[in-house]
Amino acid sequence: MVHLPRSLHLIGGLAAAALLATALTACSAGTTAEPGAETGQSPSGAATPATLTIYSGQHEAFAQSLADAFTADTGIATQLRAGSDVELVNQIIEEGDNSKADVILTEEPGPIDTLAAAGVLSPVSPPTLAKTVTQYNPGNGLWLAWAARARSVVYNPTMISADKLPAHLLDLADPKWKGTFAYAPSGAFVGTVTYLIDTIGADKTRTWLEGIRDNGENLGKNAAVRDAVEAGQISFGLINHYYWFLKADEVGAENMVSKQHYMGNQDAGALVFPSGAGVLKTSSHQAEAQQFLGWLADADGGQKIVASDSPQYPLGIGVTSTQDLEPLENLDPPVVDSGDFANPENAQQLLVEVGII
Amino acid sequence: MRAPRLLALVAVLVAGFALIPVGYVLLRGGVSLGALVDTLTLPTTMGYLVNTVLLTILVPLASVVLGVLLAVLVVRTDLPGRRIWAMLFALPLGIPAFVGSYAWVSLSYAVNPASTALFGLPGAVLILGSSLYPYVFLPVVAALRSLDTTQEEMARSLGHGLVATFLKVTLPQLRPALSGGALIIALHMLAEYGALVLLRYQTLTTAIMARYEFGRAEEALLLSTLLTVLCLAVLGFDRLLFRGVGRAAPDSRIRLGSGVTRTSTPAPLHAWQVPALLGSSAVVFIGLVVPLTGIFGGLFQRLFGSGFADYDWLRLLTAIGNTASVGALAALVTTLVAIPVSMFITRHPSTLSMLTERATWITRSLPGIVVALALVFLASRYLPGLYQTIALMVLGYVLLFLPLAVGAQRSGLLAAAPQFDELSRSLGQGPLTTFRRVTLPLALPGIASGALLVFLDVGKELTATLLLHPTGFDMLSTGLWSRTELLDYKDAAPYALALVVLSSIPAYFLARRMLR
Repeated sequence: MVHLPRSLHLIGGLAAAALLATALTACSAGTTAEPGAETGQSPSGAATPATLTIYSGQHEAFAQSLADAFTADTGIATQLRAGSDVELVNQIIEEGDNSKADVILTEEPGPIDTLAAAGVLSPVSPPTLAKTVTQYNPGNGLWLAWAARARSVVYNPTMISADKLPAHLLDLADPKWKGTFAYAPSGAFVGTVTYLIDTIGADKTRTWLEGIRDNGENLGKNAAVRDAVEAGQISFGLINHYYWFLKADEVGAENMVSKQHYMGNQDAGALVFPSGAGVLKTSSHQAEAQQFLGWLADADGGQKIVASDSPQYPLGIGVTSTQDLEPLENLDPPVVDSGDFANPENAQQLLVEVGII
Repeated sequence: MRAPRLLALVAVLVAGFALIPVGYVLLRGGVSLGALVDTLTLPTTMGYLVNTVLLTILVPLASVVLGVLLAVLVVRTDLPGRRIWAMLFALPLGIPAFVGSYAWVSLSYAVNPASTALFGLPGAVLILGSSLYPYVFLPVVAALRSLDTTQEEMARSLGHGLVATFLKVTLPQLRPALSGGALIIALHMLAEYGALVLLRYQTLTTAIMARYEFGRAEEALLLSTLLTVLCLAVLGFDRLLFRGVGRAAPDSRIRLGSGVTRTSTPAPLHAWQVPALLGSSAVVFIGLVVPLTGIFGGLFQRLFGSGFADYDWLRLLTAIGNTASVGALAALVTTLVAIPVSMFITRHPSTLSMLTERATWITRSLPGIVVALALVFLASRYLPGLYQTIALMVLGYVLLFLPLAVGAQRSGLLAAAPQFDELSRSLGQGPLTTFRRVTLPLALPGIASGALLVFLDVGKELTATLLLHPTGFDMLSTGLWSRTELLDYKDAAPYALALVVLSSIPAYFLARRMLR
């Protein structure tokens, strides 16, 4: 074996790298994981300062700026685990009593309603709830509605004019819309289906979904729908208002070809979905977790970050977004209890049976 | 010779450990035949299945054709600049498929926004094939170089043409190299997620992820059962197609390597030189230039747009350190765990050893998220102390990448002919001394390749990493995905570049070793 020495060299180098890595990993594990491990092992947590572990389904950068601002304001350390709503909710349920989460932040009401129904959330302190718009908080008081996203129609004016857009969400099942629009079976879409089942019944909802399946193009994600409309691949699409503003933020609103239209008139296409925050019953830091929710609802706390760093609607009373959003009062959504979106299984089952997911 | 019991026991234990995720799939979702039938008869399932099968046939096929063509071009012809071309052909190995796909999509949006030509099966075959063919190209180059050309010369002298000689004499000898490469690519197709989401092509795995995202774990597990069946079919097909490959030929003499390795005279390309150069450029353009253009395009957009003043560099550096250290750790552990398995299957070929090896492959074909959920489920119930630790994450990587290490070690151990072991044993050395002093030094190149492959794939892994990384512990892949989720490429570009650079290090060593 002529090349043996070089191979040996390679293996030696690799082994050295692995050893170094082990050392590094041990170090980094020591610095990052230790606070969590300590608090996990001492439920009373009397002597050690609390580190609040936040599971968040919100976009990571935004959730991180919330966590950082909370730490800056209160001195309470935070640790963020970012993922998708459903992934984190499932994880909390799988983890059971061993869950490391103290607080859960979601994008949609459905997943946090599922946690509430599973009985793992502590009630939110009433003064915290009182800081936000009552209409969007769940009737059961188990979580806080702290931000909201509105369903919208994003359209490309070079392909369709605003007055030609459908007036009602249910119209889209009509074959005349075939090939004109895109949609994504996102959490908000499932929420819409849940709402339809509750209002027009499962049979009519199924027929409508079959129409959507046949007429529309399923692009999987809201961002993909937005980009396809913006690029002129398709005339219009169903999204959350939020995604248009994220793109506008990146390229400049004046450079956006597409525009947004809000159906209003308490139409099913005008639903407004609040983002939720809840405290886990299994958390050993109940006081700090409640303090986080209180801060999140406060006009001088988290609401300031929502208003400036995110195109979501801040739900703190008297708080207005710094972004150029359609005013919340103009949206005229259907009136629903945000606590009624638990167990999205029925809606999902329909979507699976119809062949959308 | 009878297999030493201890080796067999350890190897079978490792294989059993590798089957934990499959056990989870069957336990949680697959046992109910009625539910399985219900899932199969849903309107969408058949479509996912057809899409998956098409992709699993077409991408390996395209990669094999491309990989063999390019290997012949750089080893057997007088293509100008062959050594440089060989390295360029190998480099896409360092670009994760979902990074490449992202670059293609963003380029399509930049050049012709209204076009949807890239989306769907043709685009997926083009992009994935051009990013994965090195898994065929590299072993075929190595095999072509080590072939004894006497046989070919003999065939030529007996009146066979160039093409006939290649098909009848050369190609059959490339079977081990083709088998390994095609298998890796086919199984990769069963588990690919990120690239297919971006390319709007739905397969069983994207459907499984979607079901999980909707919290429909039972259905996802039923679909995983179907995916596991497909994996078994691929393994069976590979076995059928490449029967007998991987065993030492019964008549083999004691020799190092595979006979007389000589530099054969390169075939002159003549008039084909220009088309060959154009074709080579096209491959490099598709597999390398476009992805890198996408990444650097994103970087420049950010540089001249909002700038990097408020960019979180510390976070990126931490992610680089985490990825490198976890990758090295996983490579080391996987290598150690794989050695008994590869020793067992190369030194004691039997039905049991064959099954042991194939068992390790089954996990590889499962989408990373299924393996990850199995571990989350088991750890959170039975080993809460292990839950959300680096140890559990490394365990997940070991389960996922064991077959990569076994495959590379197998070829390394085959290069170290078993007859040497026997000779050493007959001279009175014990099995451990024989392993340490005879087998290991001879098989080292293969073992090193295995470790590098694992390191490379840890960096590229996305789905299992998303679930298993401890809170606050970023990897480059998860950092990149959370930024690409919003289709915000300029924010993601530094992560993409770091991932490509980090992956290029093992890719370079692998390529250099095989191209040497």
